[in-house]
Amino acid sequence: MHVIVEGDRERMARFAADAPTRGGFSFDLCQRNEMLLKKGTQLPTFRKTGTTIVGLVFEDGVILGADTRATEGPIVADKNCEKIHYMAPNIYCCGAGTAADTEAVTDMVSSQLQLHRYATGRESRVVTALTLLKSHLFSYQGHVSAALVLGGVDITGPHLHTVYPHGSTDTLPFATMGSGSLAAMAVFESKFREGLTRDEGIKLVSEAICSGIFNDLGSGSNVDVCVITRGQTEYLRNHQLPNPRTYVSSRGYNFLKGHTEVLSTKITPLKSKVEAPAEVDAMEE
Amino acid sequence: MGDSQYSFSLTTFSPSGKLVQIEHALTAVGSGQTSLGIKAANGVIIATEKKLPSILVDETSVQKIQLMTTNIGVVYSGMGPDSRVLVRKSRKQAQQYFRLYKEPIPVTQLVRETAAVMQEFTQSGGVRPFGVSLLVAGYDDNGPQLYQVDPSGSYFSWKASAMGKNVSNAKTFLEKRYTDDMELDDAVHTAILTLKEGFQGQISGKNIEIGIVGADRKFRVLTPAEIDDYLAEVE
Repeated sequence: MHVIVEGDRERMARFAADAPTRGGFSFDLCQRNEMLLKKGTQLPTFRKTGTTIVGLVFEDGVILGADTRATEGPIVADKNCEKIHYMAPNIYCCGAGTAADTEAVTDMVSSQLQLHRYATGRESRVVTALTLLKSHLFSYQGHVSAALVLGGVDITGPHLHTVYPHGSTDTLPFATMGSGSLAAMAVFESKFREGLTRDEGIKLVSEAICSGIFNDLGSGSNVDVCVITRGQTEYLRNHQLPNPRTYVSSRGYNFLKGHTEVLSTKITPLKSKVEAPAEVDAMEE
Repeated sequence: MGDSQYSFSLTTFSPSGKLVQIEHALTAVGSGQTSLGIKAANGVIIATEKKLPSILVDETSVQKIQLMTTNIGVVYSGMGPDSRVLVRKSRKQAQQYFRLYKEPIPVTQLVRETAAVMQEFTQSGGVRPFGVSLLVAGYDDNGPQLYQVDPSGSYFSWKASAMGKNVSNAKTFLEKRYTDDMELDDAVHTAILTLKEGFQGQISGKNIEIGIVGADRKFRVLTPAEIDDYLAEVE
């Protein structure tokens, strides 16, 4: 492996005009893409989470909530996906937008936080995760379609933030994101107050997510909740299942002959089986 | 790094077929503070002397045993700053492995990648080999494991090993004392006794460091208080 040394860099500087800029999105192919679109080729669609995600600060920490439906256009791609992502033992992040983008960006920042913890020997802070996320999203100019609700408790206290795809952030006592955010925010604006207890907080978060599940087409299935307090995190996967499958018949389904119309019949007899003789000469070399 | 004239490797063969730079690196390791590792039936322990250059140094700010992942730890003999570079690279490699395979990196894989880095520096332009040997201790699906990685990039799996000053005495002592069915606590006692053999001065929780990983797969460095407890048991 040839290690790049000072001398190489000087040589490379002579060809600086050709060297691509580091980091950020490369817009080189935009002209080609536009030309292709004009010609009529369709861009491949991506799976959006079409989501309701929420977070609120309560007396002992932060509670995050999310629905579990992932959509591909009008089709439900995953009826029970996980939208609350692990960032650090004391920090979790809900993701709305393109499923691949939220997954990749939270995994990447989670990895960076772990390396930072090894280097510093300290617990990760929510603002660190926030800054890593927003700088990454900003450098991709909104093309990484990840809208996040980031919450956690660190040495400086409980924190709740929203992060938008272009890289802007807000710090709030309660927040909602995704296609069901308006339905969920209606619940929060009406019932939120400071200093909620743990049970009250979980109840309110579940109510807000249910509001999204029932009133927004892009959200559905179950409620996931994550409670983060100083020193302890509880991930309540499928805390509520308000959409059970109730139509399965216990007797099973029996389709009698005559239920299906026969259009044509063709019978092909199988060839008779020939038994090979037991005594076989050994193969000659 | 060197200037543009040094795009060739500084580690070159001698007529006798040796890589002299690596031999010198091993000498640097051999004059470093003693460190050792013992693989028990239910875990691994690594330990080292922590002799500080002066009594004015704040010993709580120095930690020689480092974590590479939650279940893998490492100790070195030789040049401290060189080990820091390796630990940093290995931590990053472990994270990259996890990102790719969504599986915590097995001990053998991490050792292999660390060894590959050390070998790179014996065959690249303008760089010198690392002046450290590492003892990597970890517990994964294949059970407890102990590996030694040398400046050349070769690695060995050990039941028990020592490096640095006093290595031959320490290894002889370990050979006598080691049993396959040792428990983690016995291994700690054995390690302390081995360090005591070559220790100059009064041994205490402040001038040795011990790291252990058991079946819980959580590598941790013992506090000076815990080490003092073990020392009391040994006496």
